[in-house]
Amino acid sequence: MNEKKNVNDINKNIDELFEVEYLSRWRLILRAFKRHRLGTVSFWILVVFYLLAIFADFLSPYNPYEQSLTTRFAAPTKIRWTYKGKFVGPYVFPIMGYRDPVTYERYYVDASEIAYVKGQDSNGKSFEVEVGKNDVEKIVLMVEKREKAIGEKGEILLKRSSSEKNMIAINEAELIKNGITRFYDSNEDTIKIYTRNPMYSYKLKRVGNVKQILIERILKSLMIIKKDNNVEIIDSPKIEDFDFKIYRIKFFIRSWHYKLLWLIPTDVHFFGVDEPAKLYLFGSDKYGRDVWTRVLFGSRISLSIGFVGIAITFVLGLFLGGISGYFGGWIDEGMMRVTEVLMSIPSFYLLISLRAILPMDLPSTTTYFMLVVILSFIGWPGMSRVIRGMVLSIKQMEFVDAARAMGFPAGRIIWRHILPNTATYVIVAATLSIPGYILGEAGLSFLGLGIREPQSSWGLMLAQAQDITVLQHYPWLLIPGAFLFAAVLTFNLLGDALRDAFDPRSLGQ
Amino acid sequence: MIKYIVRRLILAIPVLFGVSIISFIIISAAPGDFLDVLRMNPAVGEATIKALERQFGLDKSPIVQYFLWLKEVLKGNFGYSFQFRRPVFELIWGRLGATLLLTITTMIFQWTIGVALGIFSALKRYTWTDQVLTVIAFIGISIPNFFFALLFLYFAAKTGWFPIGGIISKNFDQMNAFQKFLDYLYHVFGPMLTLGTAGLAGIMRQMRGQMLDQMNQDFVMFARAKGMPEKVVIFKHTLRNAINPLVTMFGYQISSLLGGAVLTETVFGWPGMGRLIIQALLAQDLYLVMASLLLSSLMLIIGNLIADILLAWVDPRIRYRFM
Repeated sequence: MNEKKNVNDINKNIDELFEVEYLSRWRLILRAFKRHRLGTVSFWILVVFYLLAIFADFLSPYNPYEQSLTTRFAAPTKIRWTYKGKFVGPYVFPIMGYRDPVTYERYYVDASEIAYVKGQDSNGKSFEVEVGKNDVEKIVLMVEKREKAIGEKGEILLKRSSSEKNMIAINEAELIKNGITRFYDSNEDTIKIYTRNPMYSYKLKRVGNVKQILIERILKSLMIIKKDNNVEIIDSPKIEDFDFKIYRIKFFIRSWHYKLLWLIPTDVHFFGVDEPAKLYLFGSDKYGRDVWTRVLFGSRISLSIGFVGIAITFVLGLFLGGISGYFGGWIDEGMMRVTEVLMSIPSFYLLISLRAILPMDLPSTTTYFMLVVILSFIGWPGMSRVIRGMVLSIKQMEFVDAARAMGFPAGRIIWRHILPNTATYVIVAATLSIPGYILGEAGLSFLGLGIREPQSSWGLMLAQAQDITVLQHYPWLLIPGAFLFAAVLTFNLLGDALRDAFDPRSLGQ
Repeated sequence: MIKYIVRRLILAIPVLFGVSIISFIIISAAPGDFLDVLRMNPAVGEATIKALERQFGLDKSPIVQYFLWLKEVLKGNFGYSFQFRRPVFELIWGRLGATLLLTITTMIFQWTIGVALGIFSALKRYTWTDQVLTVIAFIGISIPNFFFALLFLYFAAKTGWFPIGGIISKNFDQMNAFQKFLDYLYHVFGPMLTLGTAGLAGIMRQMRGQMLDQMNQDFVMFARAKGMPEKVVIFKHTLRNAINPLVTMFGYQISSLLGGAVLTETVFGWPGMGRLIIQALLAQDLYLVMASLLLSSLMLIIGNLIADILLAWVDPRIRYRFM
């Protein structure tokens, strides 16, 4: 056993020696990179992020600009899998907004229509109704609400009102089953709402001090609406069984129009639910827009701005640093003084000052482009100083002398002979500086200086969470920040892995 | 030493000139004019605007304007803020305290904890404590400070353990000196934590790397072979050498600290310079922007100078070469 292991070890060592000896440099780098577990994981996470960004419109059930004022600040939709104890696959219920009478806070509850009902009417005749069968279009409940005050000397009815309910909250299912619900409220604030109402003050004298408020809901009748506006009414029914309408999550559903990959016009989306149900994976924002959708669309900006910015910075940095290092003299002197001045203004201050040059109400594509230019402008001084340093040392090498002796022009020597030698540094520095661009854009947008509504960007979405009450009640608005964090973290880990992989010591040579 | 400092200070003067020129170019390039706000105000008469234009030389070309501004600055007059209707110097002076309080506490926080954890991590290398600290460091480096600030605010609001913004409590006036001091610390904790974490993580990683590098050097082995106690080997030999590259980090940490402060101050409602400059930029408050940019650059330059002096102080090789 031991011997076998040794043989394996020797074989492994031979493989290792062979690889180190005969693989090309790039293969060795790839080999070193693959050994970096966190780095490879980050790489694949980033691949997923970019796929999400590219297919953002296909993956989002709602239009990112579509507002829905009835579902503002809705919590992430609860996805249910079982109904009445049986597995039925993923489905959701629509939400219904309520306002708390005491705190005026808005909240939502899951509610749905009645799809099926079975029971007996007041004469003892049994009935069975199902939406979609026998021309039945809708089942509406007639509910009476009685608000009563319970005082020291008994109880008194304050208000009686009745309403037709298309939708009924899921947690009020008891009302349908028993025909009545009672809700006792002894909250002082609720009691005050009634006792201070001048309309009730006369009545309330009869019961003395109010101890509790009782709200009764009574199911009066069922209205069965059939085709051609035929209505059948079943009075005071005794219901034995009923079903809510469930909204299944559908795949490859048709909704809003877009162009897949910016080319193919289509309206097919990966998933979604039928109206009036809403599928908000990450909740909705101030304007009732889907946070998941906007995160995906925001990722297009956050994830692309780094690459575009890097490209501009590096072209500038390589060009200016190369010239500065190669020619030296007064060009070098002048350039370095300029970079020194630019680098002695704190970069974020410079960033916001440069942003202030541009008018605030630019079209969205122009804003994006301008942001890239500004962010690149911040980056080039540091970049060109490093490149200059590297060029200064590389130009002492013999191959540069050889190129010069062969009479190549300076431009060719810089681009073809010197700068390729900085490639390793450039690739690593690029990966490690992408987070700076992402954060720069996010920071500007957060302050309201970058991407503006109705466009979407992670920083801009976080700006909504700045209000402390909003933050406290609707914490799902922080989700874009988690994405921002994840993107920056993965780029940092990837850059770290690349730096290790490009390090000659890790190649085994 | 003094000669070196004086030389560095003299060298800083042209840089500051450069900063002022660049800031002026940036502000002049912005569309519109900061007097637009005053012109729209019916309460301000034509004569006042004319007088103001003349006072600041706004009717002249940008180049002349720049030199007029420079002349005033050299006399100690930084101009007048339109938005706040107060002299710029007074405004910045009022905000400077809050910014310095935030940046200095953040620096102390970053450096003491960062260096300590870095050493600890290096001494415990490849153990699970080291790995946990490494993961925390990566998280710290990557978390956007305004997102972290929002998370902290959420936590503060939910638990009620920390104030949700501002710099002093409501009953600040009734406190005695010690309570006032504690109140400041209580309020600065959130901004400090969220602003300082990234830098702390960076310092910790750098410190760990440097310590590990130095611990493999021959002189450490020699010191051990001599039979020196481990404490002396680590703190006197390794640490003294490992700390040098960190001192240079001190300089450019200031830049990110000042920049990050803009966002942190916005989230926490901290009355510092960062918020001031944003308001000034949005209102095109020329002289306020100029003075803020100049002052922040000055802080950066002084920070770099302090870093260099510190470096010369801790590293005799540099001291003998440059002084």
